[in-house]
Amino acid sequence: MAKPEFVYVTYVETTPDELWHALTDGNFTERYWFGARLRSDWKVGSTFEMLRSDGTISDAGKVVEFDPPRRLAYTFVNLSDKYRNEFPALATFVLEPYGKLVKLTLTHQGFAEDSRFYSGISKGWPAILSSLKSLLETGRALEIPYAALKFEN
Amino acid sequence: MSKPEFVYVTYIETTPEKLWQALTDGDLTERYWFGHRIASDWKVGSPFRFTHPQRPSPAGKVLISDPPKKLAYSWIGCTEETRDEQTSRVTFDIEPRGRVVKLTVTHDDLDERGKTLRGISEGWPMVLASLKSLLETGRPLPAAIKEELAHG
Repeated sequence: MAKPEFVYVTYVETTPDELWHALTDGNFTERYWFGARLRSDWKVGSTFEMLRSDGTISDAGKVVEFDPPRRLAYTFVNLSDKYRNEFPALATFVLEPYGKLVKLTLTHQGFAEDSRFYSGISKGWPAILSSLKSLLETGRALEIPYAALKFEN
Repeated sequence: MSKPEFVYVTYIETTPEKLWQALTDGDLTERYWFGHRIASDWKVGSPFRFTHPQRPSPAGKVLISDPPKKLAYSWIGCTEETRDEQTSRVTFDIEPRGRVVKLTVTHDDLDERGKTLRGISEGWPMVLASLKSLLETGRPLPAAIKEELAHG
């Protein structure tokens, strides 16, 4: 059986620099990422964290690649008990100019075959990246109820 | 080995009715589907087809028509390379989620080694990104993509 891997491609009417900022600035991610603030000094090997609105850390990992505005990669795993036995998998963002658009390719890989975190991120990424596209194109993020993700399947 | 399928999920700030219309009205598909107009009476068993002034377009039959929740049609390849591949199937699931709509596109029954799989894996993210932009901003994605598709 193949190891699970999640790939998502979308096209956003923006610039690579703006998309890069949207992926790495905690004040910006908070607006479209279900309230999550990303925190890191973005040096390769540095800690990478996601913070809830109360300042507690929900997810953590390390920065693996930082090549603005082209490639960003970090590992992370959710710290809740549900995923206690899981190790951080690698999320890689590739930004490519595409005429007046930017093609964004996310590849999330390195999960164990029976990873529960994999099924979580598979539901989360389409919502997060849809909201990101809306925010960059319309100035408003999507109001997707977080519960809508959990109650499926 | 399991048969390949392509699944894509996106969330759009719109209503299920507007999304249904965008998937079934040729005037709208022409705007975001890079010039391809869709036409059918959308009754189960009826034919549907895309038309484009310069390019070959896919066609098929309506399999499920349950507005504004679920639409499915068979998909017969449109280029010389894909015409001989087996007929595949496209299903659209439209689900309200608070103030937005979740759209799940599933393209299955694909030839394992066929060119259709490769083509649609590139095509759907573009088409659905453009559809989302049109419904949210009133404008589809600009033409740069169109040229790329012409060579694809």
